Amino acid sequence: MIEVKNLVRAFKSGDRTIKPVNDVSFELEQGTLASIVGKSGSGKSTLLSLLGALDKPTSGDVVVNGVSLAGMPDGKLTEYRRRDIGFVFQQFNLIPNLSALDNVMLPMEFAGMRKSARAQRARELLEQVQLDPDKHVRRINRLSGGEQQRVAIARALANEPKLILADEPTGNLDEQTGEHIIELLSSLSRDHNTTILVVTHDRSLANKTDRRFRLQQGKLTEEPARNRAAVPAAV
Amino acid sequence: MSVLARSVGNAFRNKVRTAAVVAVLAVAIGLALAMLVANQAVGAKVQELNASVGTVLTVNPAGGQGFEGGGEPLSSEQAATAAGVPNVTAVVGTKALRLRNAAEAAAQAAAGQAGGPGGGQGGPGGQSTTTLTTSLTAAVDAGTLGNRNQASEGTTGATGTTQPARTLPITATGIGAEVDSAGKALELTEGTGLGDYTADSTKALLGTTLAEKNNLKVGSTFTINSKTFTVAGLFDAGTTFGNNALYVTLPAAQTLAELPGELSTMIVTVNSMENVDSTKTALQAALGTDKADVTQGQRNLETAVSSLDSVKNISLVAFVAALGTAGLIILLIMVMLVRERRREIGVLKAIGAPNLTIGLQFVLEALVLVALGSVVGAAIASFASGGIASALVSSSTSTTTAATGQRGPGLAGAAGGFPGGVPGQGGPLGGASQLLTSVTASASPGVIAAGIAAVFGVAIIGALVPALLTARIRPIEVLRGE
Repeated sequence: MIEVKNLVRAFKSGDRTIKPVNDVSFELEQGTLASIVGKSGSGKSTLLSLLGALDKPTSGDVVVNGVSLAGMPDGKLTEYRRRDIGFVFQQFNLIPNLSALDNVMLPMEFAGMRKSARAQRARELLEQVQLDPDKHVRRINRLSGGEQQRVAIARALANEPKLILADEPTGNLDEQTGEHIIELLSSLSRDHNTTILVVTHDRSLANKTDRRFRLQQGKLTEEPARNRAAVPAAV
Repeated sequence: MSVLARSVGNAFRNKVRTAAVVAVLAVAIGLALAMLVANQAVGAKVQELNASVGTVLTVNPAGGQGFEGGGEPLSSEQAATAAGVPNVTAVVGTKALRLRNAAEAAAQAAAGQAGGPGGGQGGPGGQSTTTLTTSLTAAVDAGTLGNRNQASEGTTGATGTTQPARTLPITATGIGAEVDSAGKALELTEGTGLGDYTADSTKALLGTTLAEKNNLKVGSTFTINSKTFTVAGLFDAGTTFGNNALYVTLPAAQTLAELPGELSTMIVTVNSMENVDSTKTALQAALGTDKADVTQGQRNLETAVSSLDSVKNISLVAFVAALGTAGLIILLIMVMLVRERRREIGVLKAIGAPNLTIGLQFVLEALVLVALGSVVGAAIASFASGGIASALVSSSTSTTTAATGQRGPGLAGAAGGFPGGVPGQGGPLGGASQLLTSVTASASPGVIAAGIAAVFGVAIIGALVPALLTARIRPIEVLRGE
């Protein structure tokens, strides 16, 4: 369970103080698929970075399964990101001179998994995101944007995290692959009890999530829920 | 993919830049290694000089080094006195003889000539040199100076008067140990030594050119004053005149000269370089200034050694400076790479990479670059170290060499005035300048390995700073620009 309590992130810009996240509070049960929608620059990515411990809040707290991130030392935060969090970044953020397989294996290497085991799991994950096997060993900079997006999603799933934070996960994908990724994320939340929080502009994706939030001028509001059963099973 | 594999891959991400970095590193590392090799070579040379001539004193009869003749010859009793002086570890007496070919001497006697050029040219020590006849023929022909008025074939340019053919004398030295008359160990090329050097024997050691001239080998015989000697061994003194000589035991020489107990010189070895000055003074006092002159062979070499020491220090400083430069290059390159890859470091942190892993990755990447630079640098050093060492030695010792050159001939003349003087002694003293420039710097694997180890040590320090910088990069960097 994730509890967000009065979260504030403020930046100084000259004499002004900007608060892309301003007193945000909400709770997510484990296994929930949730989405945040909002205009560009509304603070969606900032909120994700706070939840993923990439950044530290100005005030407020994020409590994950009863453990507060506030005041947690950097080493513990690194461990939290490695063990509990899977990121899908808007710009993929893959290591360009490594192959798709090596990129997916990275988080598993940091978690101390044996090389043969992580290679096998990385292949399975790349197959799950429907990347052609002949592209598994291809360098990232020789893959298309959509293929890179799928590698990024596979990397986020590598250590079977409890929480996946995805920033525009279908933004660079064609409609068919996008549908498949939505199905994949949905099945992860449902079948593997993984909490997934997706930032998106894609209304169709947002409509398929259990809970929908809207971030506007730093304030988070929840929109009416949809019928989860309508989402077809996948994977 | 392991951290090491990732580091190697990262080192070759930008091949052009990697080549440039390796080239710059190779120059710095090559210079550092060349300086280390030069340092080692000069250090070895200094040790060699100190070990070879640094602790030897030469005792001649008083005034024996001047052209006016000297006092009384040295004696065995004086050798015993010298041996009793503190810090003296060995005293080796020598007895110099001058040998003339028996047939030539007979022909000259028949022509009514009492002395030839050799007889009149006895330099220092000549006063205690006895002329004897031998069946041997000198290996050195009379020189052009003699040919002006008295050519070796027996004509004079001025009058055309026929003169008997003549050759130069042969130097024979009785020695009390297997050393030459300068105290340097004899370099035997064939055969054995003379065995007991303190006993009268009929064994002799011949210079290689003298033996060759007379078709003698080990086991051959020849005569001195009708006494038959057997060639026990051949030696190479390294010079033409030095090899136109022979050695017999000291008692044999004294018997031949019919002067038992008389010595031409004494070679005194002191136990350490530090005690040479005090021992020289003590020895001079013990023997008496009116009886013997004590000379310090290494005196002019001290300047040479001091000069080499300064070269050694310069090369050490240059080694450290080049090493520091290599470290600085690594530091700057890695700082640049860390700045360039901030976002990537942020990604690694975002997906859970510990600071240690990221820092190690950058250190290993630096070491890959250093390893490549070391390979090229070692090749550069192996080719350039000799030239660099020579350039350092010659530039640093030019002043010293000039000073040494001024003093050299005087000493050479005093100690080695051929044929009356002691052969060979003028060589190392008068040739100090040659000794200075004869430093041979060869890049031995051990020195190169030690140098590369030092380079790696400095590189690790240089790479640690940027590696620690990576720890300060926050994972939020990953979102910069998104």
